[in-house]
Parts: sequence; C-alpha cells; structure tokens
Amino acid sequence: MLFDKRGFLGGFSSILSAKGIICDTLYLVEGQFVITKEDIESYIERIPPAPEAVERTLALLQAGELGKAAKVASEDRALSAYLRDLVNKPIYGFKTEVKDIAQIFSILGVGSSLQAVYHYMMSLLSPDEWHFFAMNQRLFNDLQAELSAGWSKILAHLGIKDKDVEAAIALLPSAVIVAEALFNAHKKDVEIIRSAKDLDLSTILKRLSGYTLFDISAMIAKKWDMPRKIADIVTAASGSQRVEDEEANALGAWMHLLLFYTLSKPHYIQAGLNDFLEFNIEYVQSIYDEFASMMEIEQ
Amino acid sequence: MRAVVKNGIATFNPQGFLDGGSAASLLSVEDIEATLRLNVDMILVSLKRVIFFNRNGLDQFVKLFTKARQQKHVVVGFCDYDEKKYNTIRRFYEKEMIFSLFMTHKIAELFSNSFNNQNKTVLIYSSDKSQRAAMAIELHDRGHNPVVAQTLQDFLEKKKKEDAYDVIIEESYLGDMGQQVAARVTSNAVIYTLSGFLDNEIAAKFNLEYHNNSLNVGFRLFIFDAYKVVSMNVHALNFFAKLASAAAEYNATICFVGLSFDKTPQHFKEELEDAGIMFFDKMEDILGDKELLADLGATSAATIKTKRALTKKVVAQLPYFVDAIVETLEMMTNAKAVKEQVKVEKIILMDADELLASSIGFYGDIDGMIVLVFPKTIAKKACELLIGEETDDEALVLDALAELVNIVGGKLKTLLSDEKVSVNITLPRTYDDIEDVLEVIGDRKGVQVDLLFGGEHFSFFLTR
Repeated sequence: MLFDKRGFLGGFSSILSAKGIICDTLYLVEGQFVITKEDIESYIERIPPAPEAVERTLALLQAGELGKAAKVASEDRALSAYLRDLVNKPIYGFKTEVKDIAQIFSILGVGSSLQAVYHYMMSLLSPDEWHFFAMNQRLFNDLQAELSAGWSKILAHLGIKDKDVEAAIALLPSAVIVAEALFNAHKKDVEIIRSAKDLDLSTILKRLSGYTLFDISAMIAKKWDMPRKIADIVTAASGSQRVEDEEANALGAWMHLLLFYTLSKPHYIQAGLNDFLEFNIEYVQSIYDEFASMMEIEQ
Repeated sequence: MRAVVKNGIATFNPQGFLDGGSAASLLSVEDIEATLRLNVDMILVSLKRVIFFNRNGLDQFVKLFTKARQQKHVVVGFCDYDEKKYNTIRRFYEKEMIFSLFMTHKIAELFSNSFNNQNKTVLIYSSDKSQRAAMAIELHDRGHNPVVAQTLQDFLEKKKKEDAYDVIIEESYLGDMGQQVAARVTSNAVIYTLSGFLDNEIAAKFNLEYHNNSLNVGFRLFIFDAYKVVSMNVHALNFFAKLASAAAEYNATICFVGLSFDKTPQHFKEELEDAGIMFFDKMEDILGDKELLADLGATSAATIKTKRALTKKVVAQLPYFVDAIVETLEMMTNAKAVKEQVKVEKIILMDADELLASSIGFYGDIDGMIVLVFPKTIAKKACELLIGEETDDEALVLDALAELVNIVGGKLKTLLSDEKVSVNITLPRTYDDIEDVLEVIGDRKGVQVDLLFGGEHFSFFLTR
C-alpha cells in the first residue's frame, strides 16, 4: 500500500503485541499505555510470596527473638549479604565493618532489624534494569538507607519506640518500584502529558486505573502480611490520602516531608525521582520548623 | 525538568528543598533552550511546592533567567509564593532584579500576551511607588482596568470589597518585560503584539515560519496589537507590505489596532492600506463584532489560491500519525481503538451536531495539518485525565481538547524524530461548530482514518 511502511496497522500491531518483563517475576504489557484496574490486580497477583527464610526471620523478630531470627537470616545468603551491605553504608555510621548477622540485629534492635528485612523484601521487587527512572540497584539501596537513617532521627525526636512504626519506612520505596514497573515503557508519553499538565505519576495512575501508587503499596503490604499500621503510615505519607488512624496521619506527614527532603538531593533529582509524587506543602507546614531544626537546615 | 506550557507561558514546577546542588540538577541550560524553542513569551518557576530555598539555589535559576532574556526577550520570574518567600527573594536581590515576581500564576497571566484585552479589573498595591505605576501602565496597555491603592491602609480597605476586583495584586514585582513579537489566538484570529519603535529589527523579531504555517492551517485573520508602537520606519513599512501581499494569496486579512500616526508619517498608512492592511482604533472594534469577524475571515477559511496537495512524503508517515493519535487517545480514555476504514478523499462527517474538533499544524521536513473529530462523549472522556473530573462545561472541554491535540503533536514530533524527520507544531485550534472545520479544510483531499473507540466513531483527517 502507498502509505504503509510497517503494514498499515504497524502502529496497532505494536500496541497489541504484548511483550516486556518487569523485574524477574512480574510482567506487564509493553508498548501500550493503558493501565487498567485489572492490570494492577494482576500485577499484585504476580508478586511472589516472601522467601521462607525471610518469613521465619520476620516472625521471630516480631516475637522479639533477635538471636533466633539472626540464626535463620544467616541461613539465607542473599538476605545476609543484603543486611551486611545495608548497615555498613556510611549513613548508618558504624566505625568498623559489621559482618555477623547476630551482631547486626543486636545493634539495630527489633524495630530496625524488622525494617532492614523489609528493605530486603522491597529490593527483591526492584527491577534489574531501570528504564523510567535513571536508577540502579546501588542507588535504590542508598535511598532505602537514607530514608531509614532519616526516619530513625525523626522517631528519636518524637520519642516513638514502636517496631511497626520503625519498620514502616521500608514500604515507602515500593511506590517508586511500582511507578517504575507501570510506567517504564512510557517515559516519553508521560513527559508529553506532563508538558501539557503538571500531573504527578500517582495522579495519572489514579485517573487511568482508579488506584494511586500508594494504594498499590498498601496492597503489597497486605500481600506480604505486613501489619496494617505500616500500610496506613505509608498511605498517609502520600500527602494526598488520609487514613482513619490519626497517629498514622501525623507520622505520614513526617514521612512525606522526609521523602521530599531526601528526594531533593541532586542524585535523586537526576534519577528523575523528585517529581514522581506531588509534594503537599500544606500537609507538612506545621511540622516544618521542627524538622528543619532537627535536620540542621539553615533557615 | 520540562516546563508545562500553556497559552505562551512556560512554568517549571520544582518541589522540595532548593539549594545550589538541587537547583542545578532541577533546571539546566538545555531545559531553558528547549523551552525557548517553543516560542513562549514568559518563563516562570513556581515556588508553590518549594518548602525551602537559599540564595545559592535561586542563583542557579536567576542565571538561567538572564540567559533566557539575552537569547530572547521573554518575561522571566518566580510565581506562587507566600509573603515570607517574597520578602526573602527581595532581600536576596534588592535592586538587581531583572526578573519578575508574581504572587500567583493568575497575576502572571495578566502580564502575558495571551491574556491581553480581557478587561479585568485589577487592584494593585506595592510599597514601591514606581512599581505601582509600572504595573498600572503595563496592565492598562494590555487592556485591563488597574485600580491603584496608594497606601497600605487604602489597599486593605479596598481589598475588603473582594468582589469588586477580578484579580488583586500584592507582593509582586515587575522586572524587565518582553520585547518579542508574541503571538496568541483568540476568536480564531492570530494576534501579534508590537511595541516601541519598529525598524528593520522587526524581521528578526517576527516568526515568519510560524505565521506562514498559521496561514496553512487555516487562520485567516491576523491582528497586530500596535497600541504600544511609538513609530515605524520605511524598513518596517516594507516588511508589513510584503506580509500583506503574502496573506492576500490566502485571502487572509491583516489588521493593525491602536496604531498612532503622531510620529509615523501619515502616508505610511495609505501605503499599508494600498497593500491591503486594515486599521482599527480599538481591539474591541474587531473582537466584539461577530459580523465583522466573519467578514474578516476569523470564523471561516476562504478558498486558498494555491491548493496544496497531500504529498507522498507526508502520507508515507501515516503510520506514525496513527500511532501518535491512537496511543494518545488510548492513554487518555483507557479504551481500545479499532480501525474501521482509511480513505483518501474529501472529509466526510456524520452527526455534525454531536461533534467537536481540534486541529494542529506541523511544519519542517514535512508539513500539513491534522484534524481530530470527536463525538462529544469521547471528547469529554479523553479530557478527563487532564481536567481530573467529568464535566459538561463545553468551554472547559474545548480548552482540554487544545491540550490534547498538543499532546498528539508532541507525540508525533517524538515519533517522527526517531525516524529522522524533524517537525515543529503550531498552536492548536478548536472548533465547537463542525461547519468551521469543513470550511477550513474546504474541498481539499486528505487521508481520513475512521476508528472505533469504546463503541463510538472517531475520525482524524490528515491534509495539507
């Protein structure tokens, strides 16, 4: 035909041909920027259960059995390698390298150990190759570590000692992973939409599918049997959704501010993370001065 | 970072904490250059979602503002801030401000060419007397009604009667204003704003390529807003006379509004009239008179003297046009597209009463025009993602349709660029009356692609 280079339906056929892999285990349709409720439910469905050693470690940590938990965690080479790498990052501030998992759990305590294991689970969800965000595994792990350090500072400032609250920060980066998974083949489409309207990824997703990125994070938390409080705090940290639990809303505001404090660092801006979510200034205005003083931000 | 561009205003929306490191990562020289290529007349950085900034952070933006002004005389500045941020910026820069500060985006719009002559009643207060005067003069020139409060007390009193004003300006500052020949579209006429002394520089300041493509996509009325022109010399006279001759080939009309001949030789007017240019005292004389607008061609397209046929080069890219349109609409509606038929002939549309349309021109390695014709239901659905809710407000839908066809244009540009075909896009045009589409296209042949979206018919037409 006169006007057909790829067959007239070249465009359609590329749209209809489903290919593409997200992470090792998750699968979405590439070449088609249509995200439906069913796609998301199917995405959640395909999330694998936590590895057995991880589940046992978590159960023992929840019961306060640090020693037994360390023993089980040590049996999983990937988990123990991850934990060693995480806690030896400069932001954790240990003067000498800590290698023994029992020692790591003992230094961290129950809440932070839980948080570290949840971080490991999130890292299992993260893709081998990032396309939407200019990220890699190392930068993602750095983000996890920086958020953890900031969250510990906030909880110490607020005098909160609750293992689930401590662990909640580990779920926050799941929103980034979900955004990467759902939008990775559509970077240019998103850029074009955003050149016409200032919309964040969560809003685009909500308008397409009815779900926000944080709804999906909450689904992941449920799938992995994380305590409800964790999902509530992270949902409130979206800055656009409130939950029934007022304590979770208050902590969500702190987490929202911490997220943007962290994502304002040049390497995360260059990775394209700074504007994946809309920063809600009104939500955090009342705690900003306290936060700035705690983080020693010049006024 | 990419700017959101609407009505000639490019707005960057950084968020979080701005210091030297983060600001440099947020906005680069390349971002500014890409924005300038879009022919905007104002570049703003919104501080709405910035909770903290320091001098180093703002300096990065101010350097880029200065560069943008040097390259093109666009208005640059910050907007969407509170009193505390305003005072901090004023303290940082004191008297070295080439940039403007607009407390809200709405205030900024008043100083943009796209919002001229809207007759808004605007209450102004600044503690700086010269700023009060500058804003009042600028707003008056732009066809608004400024009301200046001379003291803070006076301002607070007047401000109590909020309903008396369309916009209230406070905590704002006018830096250097634009000197480009900026374009905007209203009532389907293209309006160019001129100012100062017009000499041979006009050829460099005027975007002739844009103008020619506006003619190609069907605009037939071009108005030069010349209220702020002091005078013109013979070089400018020749430029406009040539422009009028070229327009005549398309049966297009060129008008000057508000041009004073106090300092311009009276015989220039006669020479320009001989070239076919018309003169009016006030913009309202044209825009407020629907019959005159119709006579001058703003609502219709007269037959083009030189008919332009669809070339093989354009048609060869048809799959990319299909991709750009279908992918955009699938993305916006979450509905699947099914192709019904493709035909090369004059446009044929059914159920004209239930249709809305938008069009956009492209030019560069190939040129032509895409017309999207939607059933109202699909148009509303397609715009929901942009509007954020269902709406029956047709004006809002038409506004969003303009954004949507812009997105299609942007997508097309990207797809063609991957194939090493470089194109630029014109301003979008929308039609609430399908008869206007038929008049613009006339009896030109083109490729009409009919699609089925969620059970409803949708067509697009590719022509030159």
